[in-house]
Amino acid sequence: MNRYYRKCRNSNMHCVIVCLLVIVGRALCLTTRPNIILIFADDLGYGDLACYGHPTSGTPNLDKLAAHGLRFTDFYSASPVCTPSRGALLTGRYQTRSGLYPGVLYPGSKGGLPLNETTIAEILKPLGYATAMVGKWHLGFGVNRTFLPVHQGFDTFLGVPYSHDQGPCQSLTCFPPDIKCYGMCDQGVVPLPLLLDDKIIQQPVYFPELVPQYNKFASDFITLSAKHDQPFFLYYASDHTHYPQFASIKTTGKSLRGPFGDALMEFDNSVGIIMKTLKDNNILNNTFVFFTSDNGPELMRMSRGGNAGLLKCGKGTTYEGGIREPAIAYWPGKIQPGVTHELASTLDLLPTIATLVKTKLPKVQLDGYDMGDILFRQSMGKRKTMFYYPVDPSEKLSVFAVRYGKYKAHYFTRGASHSDTTPDHDCHLSAFLKAHDPPLLFDLESDPSENYNLVNNASMAELKPVLDMIQQVKVEFEKSMVFGESQIGKGIDPELEPCCDPACTPKPTCCQCSPL
Amino acid sequence: MALLYLESFCIFLSLLNSCSSRLKQNASTPNIIIMLMDDMGWGDLGVFGQPSKETPNLDQMAAEGMLFPSFYTANPLCSPSRAALLTGRLPIRNGFYTTNAHARNGYTPQEIMGGIPENEILIPEMLKKAGYVNKIIGKWHLGHQPQFLPLRHGFDEWFGSPNCHFGPYNNTFTPNIPVYNNSQMVGRYYEDFKIDLKDGKSNLTQIYLEEALSFIRRQSGSKPFFLYWAIDSTHAPVYSSELFHGKSKRGRYGDAVMEIDYSVGKILQELKSLGIAENTFVFFTSDNGAALISAPKQGGSNGPFLCGKQTTFEGGMRVPAIAWWPEHIKPGQVSYQLGNVMDLFTTSLSLAGLEVPKDQDIDGIDLTPTFKTNTVIERPIFYYRGNELMAVRVGMYKAHYWTWSNSWEEFQMGIDFCPGQNVTGVTTHTQEEHSMQPLLFHLGQDPGEKYPLSVLTSEYQKELVRISSVVEQHKKYLIPGLPQLNMCDRAVMNWAPPGCEALGKCLTPPKSEPWKCVWPH
Repeated sequence: MNRYYRKCRNSNMHCVIVCLLVIVGRALCLTTRPNIILIFADDLGYGDLACYGHPTSGTPNLDKLAAHGLRFTDFYSASPVCTPSRGALLTGRYQTRSGLYPGVLYPGSKGGLPLNETTIAEILKPLGYATAMVGKWHLGFGVNRTFLPVHQGFDTFLGVPYSHDQGPCQSLTCFPPDIKCYGMCDQGVVPLPLLLDDKIIQQPVYFPELVPQYNKFASDFITLSAKHDQPFFLYYASDHTHYPQFASIKTTGKSLRGPFGDALMEFDNSVGIIMKTLKDNNILNNTFVFFTSDNGPELMRMSRGGNAGLLKCGKGTTYEGGIREPAIAYWPGKIQPGVTHELASTLDLLPTIATLVKTKLPKVQLDGYDMGDILFRQSMGKRKTMFYYPVDPSEKLSVFAVRYGKYKAHYFTRGASHSDTTPDHDCHLSAFLKAHDPPLLFDLESDPSENYNLVNNASMAELKPVLDMIQQVKVEFEKSMVFGESQIGKGIDPELEPCCDPACTPKPTCCQCSPL
Repeated sequence: MALLYLESFCIFLSLLNSCSSRLKQNASTPNIIIMLMDDMGWGDLGVFGQPSKETPNLDQMAAEGMLFPSFYTANPLCSPSRAALLTGRLPIRNGFYTTNAHARNGYTPQEIMGGIPENEILIPEMLKKAGYVNKIIGKWHLGHQPQFLPLRHGFDEWFGSPNCHFGPYNNTFTPNIPVYNNSQMVGRYYEDFKIDLKDGKSNLTQIYLEEALSFIRRQSGSKPFFLYWAIDSTHAPVYSSELFHGKSKRGRYGDAVMEIDYSVGKILQELKSLGIAENTFVFFTSDNGAALISAPKQGGSNGPFLCGKQTTFEGGMRVPAIAWWPEHIKPGQVSYQLGNVMDLFTTSLSLAGLEVPKDQDIDGIDLTPTFKTNTVIERPIFYYRGNELMAVRVGMYKAHYWTWSNSWEEFQMGIDFCPGQNVTGVTTHTQEEHSMQPLLFHLGQDPGEKYPLSVLTSEYQKELVRISSVVEQHKKYLIPGLPQLNMCDRAVMNWAPPGCEALGKCLTPPKSEPWKCVWPH
């Protein structure tokens, strides 16, 4: 994990000098190079945490993080589904630039996060950071496992390469002792693999032990880095609370919210373990922790799915419920506890972190802004707009909605299967694409639920300046947008699906191995 | 003797500048402050997920006290809810309902003839026995005829109004609502107490705050006090003072919430600086869910819950609730106790060391064990609408025996109690009976009441048996009170309240012509 230290064991003079230099360097670094932990939840909605108003969620650790950190009320991911949202988080660029569209990557996808994109890990690694990723990747596997985290700036990786419903789950155990997963998950693909770096160590995954393994891996990584006085970057991308929900013995049946609540509780528990590890290693004051989620709740799972709170619709849509997320920044002594109303996004994490570690930004068009003003100076943020791309962005339709200050204009609306079965028919798959001219306009501050369109014949004249301004902002943004080649459009080759026993037959079902 | 000793001890200590004269008050009977909001929704507090950041003081109050995410009112409308809070009894028992039509919400507009019955026992009447000084500030709403007013029902002082602050009226067909100081009116809304409907400005919350602060300061400490602070700026027409006007991100409603939050902060701060915080129990809650018909400009948020005021869905009946009592309630706790405004009756009595009246059926429970140990006491929640038991919650499960949002006629006129969230078969526009097969929800997994459990599941069968027996018991022993909200008469309006002569504000009432009140929903 740490080459310098390994080298030192050779005890040759040359190395001792290098070592000394490194140690001095690190000592200097200590004050300037904080540890960074990104905690990313999966399909967790705006209304799922107790501190965001869920009446029965048990999330004491996240609530504690919120109480002692800065909680965001207006934080956005870049997409209402996983893959593009994750790509945007790690690169600070809209998925349209990196080509992570339309939809999500599949086990046999040929594409992935292009290697020429710069991830947060790739920014930090040259600065001497130890980098690790735990959990759900979902940014590609590809030929020769070329898209895995270990090729994208992470020293090490323990996790699953995509969503844990992208493999048959009907006979898998989701809750101990032997409660089978609810539903079928994806059929006709290989069982879900667990990877360490680029090796498959288990296939299919045994869910009740997955998170305990993650927790140990994350704690060990933190502890080791701390022991070596090496700054580190940990990207903890939990599979919770995505369908099918699962949990270990510790939280099974323990929540007031059923299977979803148990999964959420296990996730919250992991947050607690990470925080405790930081405390035990006495590095809490030198670690920037940021928590958020990839996209809105999957409402089609009904009471087994997440909750968008007071927001409209959920995953898959460009209504607020689709991409507005819970988010908490935590750094004792540096970030003053409170709540911020400032607009911010996952896109802003890369520039924020780059500024934090005083390094140059990658020389590409970025879509994020440094959040330093919001985080450390309690002042207004740089972000004034947010652009909402649908699941399948195209140059022709462009963005579906624009947030500008307190206003949000919908140029197109469409429901999604992920948000089916809700009482609001606008969320459903059956709510086909609809163009709005003039756009629907909502005041998100007085009407966060997007219930009351401000535009009508009587208000048109009064609102025209607002609509014109939004239109102008939109046009300017579109001018700057260059669509990258679609990675998901490259198609699927079943041969590329991860298989622990490549020679076995018949595929995909034969790809099964016990833990090594 | 002990008191004398304590007093001299205090004098000694006060020399050391570390003892408040308030210490001499018996620590086992704390002061009690109930802060009752009007139409404030569960989702209006930052601590319950409101994104608008209007409530730093209430969030702090929760951080210093105990938060109740599952706290309920006894009725989705003001008057019955308030009557239930003060009597500890369901409106069906204390008479705050109507039998003019099935399952209709009634309240106490100016033409109502009824009010709080003489035989009902209110919190202040009981606390008086324990030596409390009782004051109500704000909205009474338990009847405005002289025999119903607060000073006739245990309160020593009153500053506020008997009805909602609707208006302005022309004083011919309808008089403007009076504002009382104790037993005398001191003016009328829109005349002497201005509410500017155009810009939503009014100084009333500031007046109510000053009244509260001066009442608290005036207490000598020899007697405990009970303050019922029932302010109403979040009820339409929503208002705030100049200081808060345009300050929130949510418009008028948010401004009102900000001013309330500021006022709560001021009161708690006053308790702290007087050194009586540790001897004052404060409870913050609301009379019913947010009025979504007034949203977004003049209505609040019910967070993730279904519908709002007037309905027996969670949005109509679940209310924000915070208990605060430094040194007695450990800070930062969340209680999953199912609570009800009626518990404030029983709890207040318990705090004052009083027994509940034996000759009345009391629906409130004593929450003091919850405050001490954060244990959960099992108890059902009954959701009444007028004379009908619409739904019942037992544990995590809620069974709807009747569903109704409002009539098609009203709905087609644009009156929507559930904007953006009509759930087929649940938010029905005709009164639907489900008694044979109640709609059952698991509120832990589905707080928004969107996904009824399938009747075919064993979970449904098991829970229904449990709930049915609770309902059966309840109905078996229920003795409905005489309905107070059946008859209306323009002659009983606030034409000539006591004190009007001195102000030259007496109006001539019309001839008495009582009629059966019409309650549309």
